[in-house]
Amino acid sequence: MAEEYLLQMSGICKSFAGVHALDHVNFHVRPGKVMCLAGENGCGKSTLVKIISGVYTRDEGKVVFEGNEITKITPAEATRLGIQVIYQDLSIFPNLTVMENLAINSEITDGRKIVNRKRWEETAKTALSKIDCKIDLYAKMGELSVADKQLVAICRALLFNAKLIIMDEPTTALTKREVEALFNTVRQLRDQGIAIMFISHKTEEIFEISDDVCIMRNGKNVFEGPTKDLTPRDFAYYMTGRELTDDHFIPKKISKEPVLKVEHLSAGRYYNDVSFELHKGEILGITGLLGSGRTELALSLFGLLKPTSGTINLRGRDVKIKSPMEAQKLKIGYVPEDRLTEGLCMAQSIADNIELASLKRISGNGFTLNHKKIFEDAATWVKKFSIATDDPHKYAQTLSGGNQQKIVLAKWLSNDLDVLILNGPTVGVDIGAKQDIHHLVHQLANDEGLAVIIISDDLSEVVENCSRVIVMKEGQIVGHLDADEVSEANILQIIH
Amino acid sequence: MKNFAKNNRYTVMLFVWMAAVLLFFTITKASTLWQVSTWQGIVMQFPEFGVMTIGVMFPFITGNIDMSFVALGDFATLIMAKYLNAHWVDGTSTGSPMGYIMTGILIAMIICIAGGIINGLLITKLGIPAVMATIAMQLVWQGLSIALTNGNTVSGLPELYTEIGHSNVLGFIPYPLFIFIIMAVIAGLLLKFTVFGEKLYMCGTNVKACHYSAINTDRVITVSFVLCAVWSCVGALLMVSTMASAKADYGTSYVMRVILILVLAGVLPDGGTGKIHDVVLSVIIVQIIGSGVNMFSNLNAYYANLIWGALLLLVLILSTKMGADGFHFKKKKAAKAA
Repeated sequence: MAEEYLLQMSGICKSFAGVHALDHVNFHVRPGKVMCLAGENGCGKSTLVKIISGVYTRDEGKVVFEGNEITKITPAEATRLGIQVIYQDLSIFPNLTVMENLAINSEITDGRKIVNRKRWEETAKTALSKIDCKIDLYAKMGELSVADKQLVAICRALLFNAKLIIMDEPTTALTKREVEALFNTVRQLRDQGIAIMFISHKTEEIFEISDDVCIMRNGKNVFEGPTKDLTPRDFAYYMTGRELTDDHFIPKKISKEPVLKVEHLSAGRYYNDVSFELHKGEILGITGLLGSGRTELALSLFGLLKPTSGTINLRGRDVKIKSPMEAQKLKIGYVPEDRLTEGLCMAQSIADNIELASLKRISGNGFTLNHKKIFEDAATWVKKFSIATDDPHKYAQTLSGGNQQKIVLAKWLSNDLDVLILNGPTVGVDIGAKQDIHHLVHQLANDEGLAVIIISDDLSEVVENCSRVIVMKEGQIVGHLDADEVSEANILQIIH
Repeated sequence: MKNFAKNNRYTVMLFVWMAAVLLFFTITKASTLWQVSTWQGIVMQFPEFGVMTIGVMFPFITGNIDMSFVALGDFATLIMAKYLNAHWVDGTSTGSPMGYIMTGILIAMIICIAGGIINGLLITKLGIPAVMATIAMQLVWQGLSIALTNGNTVSGLPELYTEIGHSNVLGFIPYPLFIFIIMAVIAGLLLKFTVFGEKLYMCGTNVKACHYSAINTDRVITVSFVLCAVWSCVGALLMVSTMASAKADYGTSYVMRVILILVLAGVLPDGGTGKIHDVVLSVIIVQIIGSGVNMFSNLNAYYANLIWGALLLLVLILSTKMGADGFHFKKKKAAKAA
């Protein structure tokens, strides 16, 4: 190819209502290379993508695609040029089959009115063959795993003779293994000469897959160049604008007696014969693939899933936890996996969300409630956890993922707890906030003697924060690593 | 002031609505509208469905709906009327009249509370969608009432009771209005200054998150239906008092009217929103429109429904544009931009 760059963007500006979403961003994509666009939430990544795909119009700047300057990009024009975006929600029709999903676009652009099954099947087969993808053509899209849906979305993009495929945070909902498979597909596409723009904020992924990196912060690009010129430490610095320190958890004081003792606990098909102990002042990691029973185990400890046999012993006493209300009384707190559906009332204020589990304490008599008190108490937590808001009266949905997660944490920590269970505490949280949350949990364990369980499939998170690790697989504990054995390699060996 | 308008967009909107409605009827029917008797009529009429509206507000805030409240109130007051009839022959009681009336009201109240609990349990324990469960219960209560009376009116209630609907407190506040004010104030206090009120709004926003925050969400929702039933009972008692009789189908048109009023007041069916003063304003506006339409004596009464329907549509269009939904829509856009 004659041109060095497939896509060149220089001096791109875009503002919304006077706020600069993009401020003179420069950005290049080389053909047949994987370029990562990285940055924390709200740094302007999505805006940039939407300008490339023609959803937004830029205020200023120059775009050159394959050597030709493009003055105005519309979505149709972008498709014609060979730019395809795979959004996070994948824009698929869950009620249709794989075949229909693949064929529908070309059927519509060709202006066909009559359905011809044979032709549909052919289109779909060609699409899948492009990346040697073996998915049942007649499976309902909605029933596929996220990873398979993604593959179908990629195949669909390829049908348009894509030269540049943009993937918007494709790995958020994938397990480690699925991410590997996706990366193989990405490499395959790259070798076919297709440029991939990969949007992510996960350090390991970026270093694993990308040839070039562009890092954005607050609407500006702060780094652009080959990935090999960058160290993970530099990367974290560019992402957050501050030096991050390595912060391994070292337990200071672990109680002799366990505060929680689980023995031979089973719950039907979810998990089987699980036993472990948890001491005050330690952080226990539970890891394993999705569906390994780790979440269900946590739900049982919080009274949301009834165990079928086995015992839970708390502070030396056998207990039955039948509801979250009882769990709260027994001083167990649970930060759920999914902030959006399980953690927060998004359309209520930050203050109301923080105090949601402590209304009784705020009230005093359990009946009357003073909203001023809610606000005052919440304000102390906002300060303590440095939640980025100027007013706790604002809705929880105005915050970024990391700050939302801090609310959920504050909700439980404003209770008097002995055991805190964190399920995926930093999913969808950017590096800076992630560090804050980890630091906070360390303090709680060391200074306040809290017993913490972290459930996570982010191995670096587990290794960095946990003094002991349990590995689960298909509902059973398959490995138990003590402090000196905890490492990513050891965990991976047990999982696979 | 600007903040007030921002935090109370519905209140502002409702005042605009009220001004618009008053202006319209002043232009078209000034002579009738600004008569004392017109306003006496208005304050006599709205309390019965107004109290019910406030009741239905509770399940609405939790994101549920109650379609059974009128039928339940009718059934409860029918039983009360039957009870009073049995102890009341030709205007003379066999004992203390006040005692019988109080017992009768207590019976009605107990029936309504039971009805509210049934609604709550159907929805929380059996997981039946609120619309379905309460429509079924509406049919059950109405069916029971009809079976009990063959659809006939039960009259012959003691005067002491029927007087309530037509007498004044302190000589100038009509009794129904007085009761409406009391019920509105109690509801307002419950919503604004109690733990229960807070839980009600939070459950309406995300019931799962509340359950995960150790809130007994089943109980909160069930209690909301019980409160709805209690307020509906008071409304039905007022209705029976003004009508001086009880019947299986009194006030059936109130079901839709109440939902209209709530949506107009920003108590959206999705849950989590709504303020008591907006509901009160909304009740008054709707009554003014109702009375206003009646002032056109040459207007065919059959058009009343058409006017109501058109109004509902207009309200929905405008409140979606101005209200919480419009707000959310903008929010989503901004989030995508980030």
